Amino acid sequence: MKQSAVDAVIRGLKRAGVSVVCYLPDSLFKELYPALDADPDIRTIRVTNEGEGAAICGGVFLSGKKAALVMENSGLRASVEPLARMGLGAGIPVVMLMSYRGELGENNWWAIPHGITMEPVLNALRIPYSVVREEDRIERAITDAYAWSYASYYHSAVALGGEVVR
Amino acid sequence: MKRFDCMKALSARLKDELVILSLGASVDEWYNAAPHMRAASLFQQQLGCVTPQAFGLAAGLPHRRIISLDTDGGMMFNLGILATLGNEQPKNLFVVVWDNECYQSIGGPPTHTASGRVDIAAIARGAGVDNAFTARTLEEFDAHCAAGLAADVPYVVVAKVAGTVQPDIKRKHSDGREDKYIFVRHVEATEGIVIMGPSEHN
Repeated sequence: MKQSAVDAVIRGLKRAGVSVVCYLPDSLFKELYPALDADPDIRTIRVTNEGEGAAICGGVFLSGKKAALVMENSGLRASVEPLARMGLGAGIPVVMLMSYRGELGENNWWAIPHGITMEPVLNALRIPYSVVREEDRIERAITDAYAWSYASYYHSAVALGGEVVR
Repeated sequence: MKRFDCMKALSARLKDELVILSLGASVDEWYNAAPHMRAASLFQQQLGCVTPQAFGLAAGLPHRRIISLDTDGGMMFNLGILATLGNEQPKNLFVVVWDNECYQSIGGPPTHTASGRVDIAAIARGAGVDNAFTARTLEEFDAHCAAGLAADVPYVVVAKVAGTVQPDIKRKHSDGREDKYIFVRHVEATEGIVIMGPSEHN
């Protein structure tokens, strides 16, 4: 990611009021994670799998603070169980920011499953999402996701792809 | 050692704390063992989420004591949270693991702890939660509650309890959605904050 895209993500998170970020690092967002760690206004929590991160974000919601789950899109598959339970069972929302691995242009065979499964899994869970491939749309996409999740009390997602991450 | 007796001992020590708890019969037992904590308790129905949610709540409310009432099945579902607690060292999180060595709510088939070889407290210590203990008597459990509720490091007590359920207790009627609203409104009232506020007019 370019520094300007990293800055746009952090601006969007701050404008949305996020103060806690749970993440499991990946390669497409590799410049984002240290920037989040270094930001004095954001507490980062590193997790062992993205499902754990989703549940921690749910707990942060219950405290009145705003959290984000940042991950590769493969983490969505690891998060399905807690997302379904919290979102559909209790109305506890999680906002996710994920890198779009496996979209057209992907040149790693192991990432192809992530591209094939991401949107169908989001649709199966009825999670609205936006795919952002232009840097100037990042900030608005993030704040829109929070606005929607705090009106619906359900999950939403922003996937960053294309030139934003490659 | 009966889980219901342990719950009553813990309940007697609680006043301003917030509780997140796991699924199955322990939900109805806690509902009856701690009637003064009903609004302060989030009754969940899920494996693997309870202690992570409690940790998220503890991270968001660092001045408030948070209690996770997890289970052997629930903790084994997501052992990674113990490593996260080991690294993050929350000062306000007390974790109780009701270890009845079975999946009680579906009739009692054994969990991994039933073999006698799997020790959740030892796993927690290995994950960096130094204060992780196993309690086998009510007196031991109560002493760990006193210590865990006063600790400024994460504290885990694994309570080895019988696989029986307290008979003739009142069933909780609310579902997960209603429980969330009750809990959120309690947090809002006691913290003086807004979590689920009014709609915008636009």
